Amino acid sequence: MPYADLVTPEFVLLALVVITALAFDFTNGFHDTANAMATSIATKALTPKAAVTLSAILNLVGAFLSVEVAITVTNSVIQVQNADGTPRPELMADGGHGLLLILMAALAGAIIWNILTWLWGLPSSSSHALFGGLVGAAIASLGWGGVKWTGSGGHLDGVIGKVVLPALISPAVAIVVAMIGTRLVFAITKGVAERYQEAGFRWGQIGTASLLSLSHGTNDAQKTMGVITLALIAANPGMSTTEIPLWVKFACAFAIASGTYIGGWRIIRTMGKGLVEVLSPQGMAAESASAAVILTSSQMGFPLSTTHVCTGSILGSGLGRKGATVRWGVAGRMLGAWLVTLPSAALVGAGMWWIGHLLGELLGDIVVFAIMCLAGLFMWWHSRRDRITHENVNDEWEPGSTPTEPAKQTVP
Amino acid sequence: MDQLWAALDATWRILLVGLVLGAGLPTLFAVGIRSLAWGVGGEAGRHEEGVQLQPHPLGRVVAYALFALVILCVLVGVGYIVAHGLGWTVTFNGLLPVVTPKH
Repeated sequence: MPYADLVTPEFVLLALVVITALAFDFTNGFHDTANAMATSIATKALTPKAAVTLSAILNLVGAFLSVEVAITVTNSVIQVQNADGTPRPELMADGGHGLLLILMAALAGAIIWNILTWLWGLPSSSSHALFGGLVGAAIASLGWGGVKWTGSGGHLDGVIGKVVLPALISPAVAIVVAMIGTRLVFAITKGVAERYQEAGFRWGQIGTASLLSLSHGTNDAQKTMGVITLALIAANPGMSTTEIPLWVKFACAFAIASGTYIGGWRIIRTMGKGLVEVLSPQGMAAESASAAVILTSSQMGFPLSTTHVCTGSILGSGLGRKGATVRWGVAGRMLGAWLVTLPSAALVGAGMWWIGHLLGELLGDIVVFAIMCLAGLFMWWHSRRDRITHENVNDEWEPGSTPTEPAKQTVP
Repeated sequence: MDQLWAALDATWRILLVGLVLGAGLPTLFAVGIRSLAWGVGGEAGRHEEGVQLQPHPLGRVVAYALFALVILCVLVGVGYIVAHGLGWTVTFNGLLPVVTPKH
């Protein structure tokens, strides 16, 4: 073991960074269950439990499938690495403490924002939260120059090319595709009995939802694997930049899959019941639109957020069906959350970095970790006041009301 | 400005392919559902009280052919995700995907 004789402040910080990164992966999982499964749950194509189980298994498989190293994920918005993925030398002093603290503060910012948006039941992009945390921590430690604001020439990169433009464009594309798909599907199946229609499209929904879950596993688990690998390199400069240690892969795969299985019921409810009333044909059209847009973009190297695409598709499917209710208030709240995701996570990330920096090595790191845990626990405790579980996730949506308290005695 | 143009250039391509696959495949599936209803007859179609719709075997054939096509596309999608995950390059020669293992 290369780290066995290194039980130093750096080792403690490294351990905290790894744990925090896995915690982020976990929040990433439950935040995004809704993307693949919200409409299947809302149309009862799958029971809530079956949906999260299927999604979790496919995320697990997907995470193991990805061998590509996403070690440059941090490099897309901040400048802490050389072109080959190794950290910049000035951040490597003191056993990589500089870089580790940036990662720690960034992850803490991202987690706090993820849990807060979950508490509000708002789907927001986990990647944007992570990027936001990184930007904040980088500004705090390296100044404005530490952030890569824009890419060079026609290569989409930096905050503008990887975050702002895709966030504006991808939901719009998804809305158009899903709207046209939904309109066509309803026009064609007009004479078919409703019961028959629903049954057929449920199968289609299950297929497309599975595709989305698998794709999520390959993409998102990779980001955390990249962050953890970068942290390991910071503490242990000799390490390879092209290989992910096997235990990192296992840990990330299980973190994202268990997060998915827990199910972010609050977000699933907003996306499946709150935004629009979804019927099976709509659900299938929305999920196909999401899958097509996500896979096409990935082929073209266009960096988009799954959350934005899936939300756009559901909205578009509501616009495509005549007589469907689209709750613009809910859509507006989501849009607001998207706009503030990056700056908010950046603020928290920057604050965390200052706390860690001012309190100094070890104490600072532990305090940052403790603040993050307490904030998470507080928000979880707060969520108990209006619990949303697999039992009441599909209750009727009424503005301003919360669903009925689920029966407490039912033990599975 | 270059960034904006690069993004817009990607946008119309994604929109085009997205429409063909993302709206086209559910449409084919819908045609399949419709012909299946026609093929099964009975209670599957909306009709007047007391009238029984006649089953048309051809409808079933068309329906299952369309479903098979949609399933094939989904499987190609799965294959694409797997190939990408393994770090292979997938290019499209005409319509058929060509997978190149890395190095």
